[in-house]
Amino acid sequence: MATFLNLLIVGLATGAIYALIALGYTMVYGIIELINFAHGDIFTLGTFVTIAILSMLGVTAANPPSTMSWVLVSELALACIGSFLFCAVLGVLIERVAYRPLRNAPRLAPLISAIGVSLVLQDVGKLWFGNTNVSFVSLPIGSVQMGPVNVDVINIFVLVVAIILMAGLQLLVTRTRIGRAMRAVAQDRDAAALMGVNVNLIIGVTFFIGAGLAGAAAFIYSLKFPNTYFYLGFEQGLIAFTAAVLGGIGNLVGAMFGGLIIGLIYSLVTLIPATVLPHGGNAWNKAVIFAILILILVFRPSGLFGQNTPEKV
Amino acid sequence: MSSEEVRTSSQPAAAAVASKTEALLELRNVTKTFGGLTAVSKVDLIVRPREIVSVIGPNGAGKTTVFNLITGIYEPSSGEILLAGRSLAGLSPDKIVLQGITRTFQNIRLFNNMTVLENVLVGQHTRLKAGVLGSLFRTRSVVAEEKRARERALELLGFFGTALVARQDEYVMNLSYADRRRVEIARALAADPKLLLLDEPTAGMNEVETLEAVKYIRRLRDELGLTILLIEHKLAVTMGMSDHIAVLDYGQKIADGLPDEVRYDERVIAAYLGRQSETKAEDDESAAEEA
Amino acid sequence: MAVSESPRKLLPNTETRKLLLKWLVAVLVPVCVFTYVWVGEQMVNGVWLSLLYPDVTSLDHDPWSLIIQSLFLLLVYGSAIALSGYLVAADSGRRNMLEVWFDVAFATVVPLVLLAVTSNLLISIGLAVVVWGIYLFVRTRIRRARHYTPPAPLASLHVIDDKERGALLRLAQQAGLWFGIIFAVITLVADIIFFATDQLAPLLLIWVAVRTVLLPVAGYFLGRLGGRMALRYTVAPDAGIEVAQSEGAQRGRMGWRGNARKVSREEQLQSLSASRASEEARDVVPNDKPLQSRGATRIYLMLLMTFVVLYPILDPILFGSGTKGRITSYGDLGFYVILALGLNIVVGFAGLLDLGYVAFFVIGTYAWSMVGSPQFYVLTGMIARPEIFSWFFWPMLIIAALLTALWGVLLGAPTLRLRGDYLAIVTLGFGEIIPIVFTQMDKYTNGTDGIAGVYPPATPCIGSFCLNWSNSPTPYYYLILILIGVCIFANVRLRDSRMGRAWIAIREDEIAAASSGINLVNTKLFAFAAGAFFAGIAGVYHAAKLGTVAPGDFNSTDSIIYLAMVVIGGLGSIPGVLVGAVVVYAINLLILNQLDTYASDPSNFLHFLPQLIHNFTFSNVRNLLFGIILIVIMIFRPEGLIPSARRRRELHHTTNEDEEAEPSALDQPPGTPEFEAEMKVE
Repeated sequence: MATFLNLLIVGLATGAIYALIALGYTMVYGIIELINFAHGDIFTLGTFVTIAILSMLGVTAANPPSTMSWVLVSELALACIGSFLFCAVLGVLIERVAYRPLRNAPRLAPLISAIGVSLVLQDVGKLWFGNTNVSFVSLPIGSVQMGPVNVDVINIFVLVVAIILMAGLQLLVTRTRIGRAMRAVAQDRDAAALMGVNVNLIIGVTFFIGAGLAGAAAFIYSLKFPNTYFYLGFEQGLIAFTAAVLGGIGNLVGAMFGGLIIGLIYSLVTLIPATVLPHGGNAWNKAVIFAILILILVFRPSGLFGQNTPEKV
Repeated sequence: MSSEEVRTSSQPAAAAVASKTEALLELRNVTKTFGGLTAVSKVDLIVRPREIVSVIGPNGAGKTTVFNLITGIYEPSSGEILLAGRSLAGLSPDKIVLQGITRTFQNIRLFNNMTVLENVLVGQHTRLKAGVLGSLFRTRSVVAEEKRARERALELLGFFGTALVARQDEYVMNLSYADRRRVEIARALAADPKLLLLDEPTAGMNEVETLEAVKYIRRLRDELGLTILLIEHKLAVTMGMSDHIAVLDYGQKIADGLPDEVRYDERVIAAYLGRQSETKAEDDESAAEEA
Repeated sequence: MAVSESPRKLLPNTETRKLLLKWLVAVLVPVCVFTYVWVGEQMVNGVWLSLLYPDVTSLDHDPWSLIIQSLFLLLVYGSAIALSGYLVAADSGRRNMLEVWFDVAFATVVPLVLLAVTSNLLISIGLAVVVWGIYLFVRTRIRRARHYTPPAPLASLHVIDDKERGALLRLAQQAGLWFGIIFAVITLVADIIFFATDQLAPLLLIWVAVRTVLLPVAGYFLGRLGGRMALRYTVAPDAGIEVAQSEGAQRGRMGWRGNARKVSREEQLQSLSASRASEEARDVVPNDKPLQSRGATRIYLMLLMTFVVLYPILDPILFGSGTKGRITSYGDLGFYVILALGLNIVVGFAGLLDLGYVAFFVIGTYAWSMVGSPQFYVLTGMIARPEIFSWFFWPMLIIAALLTALWGVLLGAPTLRLRGDYLAIVTLGFGEIIPIVFTQMDKYTNGTDGIAGVYPPATPCIGSFCLNWSNSPTPYYYLILILIGVCIFANVRLRDSRMGRAWIAIREDEIAAASSGINLVNTKLFAFAAGAFFAGIAGVYHAAKLGTVAPGDFNSTDSIIYLAMVVIGGLGSIPGVLVGAVVVYAINLLILNQLDTYASDPSNFLHFLPQLIHNFTFSNVRNLLFGIILIVIMIFRPEGLIPSARRRRELHHTTNEDEEAEPSALDQPPGTPEFEAEMKVE
């Protein structure tokens, strides 16, 4: 029971990270109908930037801080903001260079371009931090006893930060001028342009926010998990994309819940014993997520929160 | 399009005769909603064999949606669509082509990077039997079938004179607007339909081309024995050739009858004329008489 | 067009002389480069020397090798002469002489010189493609700067009657004859110089004399052959039209059916638009670009095919030692080619993005590895004796391919109902998962260690002659050649079939395709399964050739490398895909490795790169390179290096779609006053 509850909390925290990444997929898909394959790799570079910033500030994995202090907290905040901004700018840049010239091309072209960007970013990561696992700084954060379970404080922290970010995004999209413009462009790009919306700007903003959230997710990931490597984002991106599809692609709230659900499943699959699947559930969680993706597409392609929209004839 | 069909075509398709025969296409109480929006509401429509029936109505009245419902692109939210008494419910667009309904589109949807001939060959897809192995090894039957298909495609293009036959190897995107319409109709004919749906067959055409289009639409019925359901904006065109006309407004059928009945129907006039001047309408009447 | 020849006159008039000069130089220069810079002369002399001096042991006396060498040489020189005849007969004479010479120089002389210099086929092809690309770029720039507009492609089109046919044939004969004479003189002079400087064995003088007589005679007849080829593509007067027209008039009301036969080939060609005409113009004679025409392409293809077929025997003569390693690597290149051809069906023809193609390849390799190896005992308890199970390779080639096709259907069926993007992500996931599955199911697949000792195929011996599958790479070379041939055949046939038309229709407009009676799901599913089928074939071949298989050998980014082959070459273009596979293979496995050896050598100038960037190796930037190539191609040349005509227009036309549609005043957008005016009711 305790293991189960513990896995539940870990799953929620992981899910929150997936949700943040999934938001980037879903926002970009919502606005230009493109699966941004490079999104996961932006996330990878986010984890690298976090490590780089912290090591510049003297906080390295080899020399971890022994106690929490305000200095450390401000250094972490700096890393978070740095990662956010780096990824956000990278996202805008990618859109400008690789996607915008192809906006009116046949569908296949931007998809292939996106996969090309993904390859490029992977190798940039490889050149930066090499072919191996790179360790994060482990923070001196303990755990608290909550009822029967002993919970790592970091999980709660991750959840809280993620929820704050998601709530902020939701407010931005529903309550502000720019959010309204984003929704307008998502609905009908040409009509929005006719109404005086600067479409290029809005698409740029969408990439900025979406990629920025991946950057934030990368920072959070670095607190919770031990290490990263150049291919991490590609794998995590696939899972996050499944979350976005589960929630209904293009739907922000859907992506958040999709992320949480996928995180839970990912974590609970671990409980499957080796008698059922060879080597136990732990070895299969990616395959299970993939199976879920297929199942969603078979039974409810519009996702849990999505609506079926008819194709324009 | 066997030769028998052509032979019987001399007999006039008078509305009085047609009304006694069984309906070829029947829409019963068809409704289609998109989310909260009702695009088509409880529409009934009967099309009898060898009739030319027009669906008219202001823009956004749901005419094209009706076509999309008949051809299986949309599934009706409620109601029934029957072809020769058989329900078309749940059939995908390609199955509906097999049942004998083909169509053209308002904003011509040809395969622009295929040649004229290839477009018509794609239209024959359902009639051709060539399987994978047959195509791989080019069995004698497949070669013969392909040859026949080409000949037939050229015949269909010949329906519109020799101009399209001469341009058979031209890419469709290089054709004039009117020629593209013709190729689209030839492609629709290629599947050997009983019922042909034409979505604004004269849109984008000038006066001369329009008159010619009216002629060949009549010939489609008279020489090929087709039943035709069409959407049209130019009332002059519809009035002149339709056996009866259904009028849609806001997704509902507000009138259905002979051209003259519809022309004087008050609801129709109200639906259209809310936004039109008297003088304009008079002009249109004289135009209608010409056609 | 110089057709006003008086018959039987062998000395050309002025107009013809210009034409002859243009083409004889264009053909003679590459032939001379082949002969004297690369290996031509060496091979000819080698053959004669070993015949004339049977006692000299340093010469190669293997009769097989000699026969094949002479066959190859006969074909090369013979087709060069025939080509000159064809080109002269087919040329409309409207294109600049210098331009033709430059094209020929870059397309043939550069690769031949590179071959002679590098002695490596793949590297020289890769470099030649780069040089060719740069040349094309510069040429377009210069043309643009000089405001050059090419002549209308079909301007010289006309019906060619019997008299003109005769004239064309004579022209071709003259070309062949003069080619023979000039080449005989060149070689004669060269050999006399060689003899004078003591580089030519005295007995070879017999051959020199024979050749000098033989060449003009051969030229006369082969030139005529070239002329015959050219005549096959001319527009002949169409006698059937008149009959059809009178018949049509009699048939009264049914007359419109007769319209189909009332149009002559000439009329058809003349009513084509400029872009379409330039495609069609390649096939018609007279022609502005005879080098690219169908007749010439046939000659190139024939040459290429003989070269490829005879290659394993020619290799040691052309490139010296190390034949075994080279043939092995061409055998590997072969399965890349098959993968590219298979993926081309999915992505190029049907327009479906498959990013997990490697998964099908993996399934194919494991299918054979689990049957044709000791692993079979682990799975079934039956001992798979190699002398028996090796034979099962052949049926397994098909069975495994069907199995992968089945997997394609299983994966495609749920996804292909949805819009295309989902397929991309699902296949991407599939490519990620399959290696994991094969690792985790170690009970059956032996996990990360993989399966070793996979059996090679077995073939029956003919008398005492047995194919040596376990030690020699040559049987694999021919096996993959046959498999590639089968795949190209299937690609072409499928593309030109009813199914191929349906694929293109779906790619262009799904709704219109469905409304024309095409079943979207089944048609896409078939494309997907057909692609998987070829991956299965490639997989079985790969497993048998390598002898071991392990999940670590496959990487889900491999799928994207395969995609790069198709994209670089040209989506939907079969020759493009072949070139794409060669280029990607050359970069991926030869050039990058070569550069890495350079970079690790401290004396090489490339050594600064690893010093500069900590983790730098050229294989570490492999994906970077391919990623950039994919992006750049998509943005600047989406149709690839050797595009299919259809795809070129398709990928470019969206940008100027607006100018093509010319809506008249009657086709107003809804809501405008003009539109309302159209709603006529009294």
